[in-house]
Amino acid sequence: MKGSVSITRRLVITVLVLELLAAIALIAAITIHERHVQFKTFDSSLIASAESLMGAVQDTEDEADNVMLDMRGVHTAKDAVFRIYDERGRVLGSAGEPPQPEMIASAMPVFRDVNVNGRRYRFLFLRRLRIVDPGQPDGGVRHEITIVYGTPVGHVWHEVLEAVRFFAIATALLLGVTALLMAWLVRKGLSPIHELAREAERINSSDWRFNAPDSAKRTVELKPLAAGLEAALARLQRSFEQQKRFTSDAAHELKTDVAIVKSSLQLLSMRERTLEEYDQGMTLVLKDLSRLEITVQKMLTLARLEQPSENYGSGISLPSCSLRDAIEDAVHQSNPLAELKSVLVKVEFASDARVATDSRDALLLCSNILLNALEHSPEGARVEVAATVDHGTIRFTVRDHGNGISDEDRDYLFEPFYRGDPSRSRKSGGTGLGLSICKAICDRAGGSIEITNAAGGGALVTVNLPAEPMTSHSLSASVSSASLKAD
Amino acid sequence: MRVLLVEDERRLAENIVAALRETGLAVDHAADGEAGSHLAEQGVYDAIVLDLMLPAKSGQRVLQDLRRKRIHTPVLILTAQESKESVVSLLNTGADDYLSKPFDLGELLARIKALIRRAKGTSTPVLVVSDLELNTVQQTVRRRGQHVDLSPTEYRILEYLIHRPRAVVSQQELLEHLYDFDWEHHSNVIEAHISNLRRKLNVAGTEPLIETLRHRGYRLREDSVAQ
Repeated sequence: MKGSVSITRRLVITVLVLELLAAIALIAAITIHERHVQFKTFDSSLIASAESLMGAVQDTEDEADNVMLDMRGVHTAKDAVFRIYDERGRVLGSAGEPPQPEMIASAMPVFRDVNVNGRRYRFLFLRRLRIVDPGQPDGGVRHEITIVYGTPVGHVWHEVLEAVRFFAIATALLLGVTALLMAWLVRKGLSPIHELAREAERINSSDWRFNAPDSAKRTVELKPLAAGLEAALARLQRSFEQQKRFTSDAAHELKTDVAIVKSSLQLLSMRERTLEEYDQGMTLVLKDLSRLEITVQKMLTLARLEQPSENYGSGISLPSCSLRDAIEDAVHQSNPLAELKSVLVKVEFASDARVATDSRDALLLCSNILLNALEHSPEGARVEVAATVDHGTIRFTVRDHGNGISDEDRDYLFEPFYRGDPSRSRKSGGTGLGLSICKAICDRAGGSIEITNAAGGGALVTVNLPAEPMTSHSLSASVSSASLKAD
Repeated sequence: MRVLLVEDERRLAENIVAALRETGLAVDHAADGEAGSHLAEQGVYDAIVLDLMLPAKSGQRVLQDLRRKRIHTPVLILTAQESKESVVSLLNTGADDYLSKPFDLGELLARIKALIRRAKGTSTPVLVVSDLELNTVQQTVRRRGQHVDLSPTEYRILEYLIHRPRAVVSQQELLEHLYDFDWEHHSNVIEAHISNLRRKLNVAGTEPLIETLRHRGYRLREDSVAQ
């Protein structure tokens, strides 16, 4: 695939390039070192050869006390070039054409690289004092002998290159072996990734089970990925199942409501009926229809509330309203039911604040909670409603004196269509969407809702919403509405 | 014939009960699984209509318990779930038929009647015993081709007896199968209806079609059946 990147290849290439650089540096170092050592040895052998030539310079035993070269027993390299002079420039012996001696001041040996007949030679210039007959009273005759001795350097370089070649071949072999070994090791090391991928590949919409393989969980680098995948899939599965349950529950509700309407109409048309019977029948059908309508309406409300807010973050100011107004409206609305059950609704406002929902949703929230409380209240009991603002949060509580909530219901109270007992009769519990709608409103406004059992019995609904400061505009609005009420 | 309806949805139950009664069936209604189970296990019903989602006890379990107690009353299931698996598992548990909501009331009635008929061992809606012919759809009776005009209760008694030819049917059994709990039970009511029925079915020069066996009950005459 074009543009794809292989971690294995990348790792292997990186390591090989590093190895190669190291090998080159090593070979360079070896070359320098080898050259140094070889030339040192070479120079020593030059000196040794020159000294042995010097040893071959003998007294001629003639009257002039001259010296001569006696090459017997002296071994020189076969392509060595040398020439030996005495102080008068007389050549004592030579081989080949060595360069003219320079003026050498000291007695120290001097080395020179010179081309002779197209070959590169290294020459040694050596000056030694030779005393003939040192036992004579005049101290003998002094001869200053100069030796120029050189051999070709070619074979030294050959030695150096041989050594370098050996190291280069060894390094290349090592590189090849490491490359293979690395490729195998890296592939083996990455196998948890492949196992994880295979396991992830198995997932489909009907089977959400995902257990990260142990190899992936044991790998430090893969652990977060495996855990992340597991958590994400678990969340997805939960929401998927929730959706599925909601759809099936909604279908059940709607089918039941439709079945009622349909059977009512069919019962009416089974035979000829009197006008009065038709009239009664129509009233019943209308009632059945309105129940279907309420179910549909609530489902649509829930769907609307669960849609992500369009205005969010777009700079358009979100609608807001006074929670106090909403509570007052809700209390007013629920008055008939409260009177019917002779329940006293006690309202206590410590303060008011604006909340980030429109007034319709705020009223829906308050009245749903209040009606729920009234429904679960025994005859003649009290329902306590309170609102307080604390640290930028408005807390709205409704407490009834009913039976409270059971532990097994607690986790499911806000799930759509949940009515305690999964098949509890609909007579008692409305559509089962009320609390889901409340939760959706609270979530949308950035708040929370929870139901607990109050100390001393009964359920306590607590709503926490982020409070917005009261603007002067809203203050005047609430004042004017208050004055309206006073009128 | 007496039918038990187990359905928690009040309005739906009201409609089904009214429709069943209008077709001449006696109906009892139970609003939850416990009550339904209790009534069904009395064994006096000719058919049971059972909802699945019930409070207290699920329809599935009501059915299981019923079959475990060897009560073979035909059961029709009403369900809002349509998955094939649930239908298969229901039929395997011992249900005889099912309808999914929202259903057609006429279809429900027809299915219930068919279930009753089949449980009694007949497969056509017209029952014939010698020269007596009873049409369960039109609810009409003919003897030797002549139309016989019967009251609804008389018709129901005759229908029940025809479904059980040769068997002795006690007054108690007739009461149990012809009336639901909404009716007052008096055995002399049955006696009066039987005597009316005998008179209406009587054809000069023949033995009465319905025999009375003292302290035991009634039966359709064996010789007339044998013909």
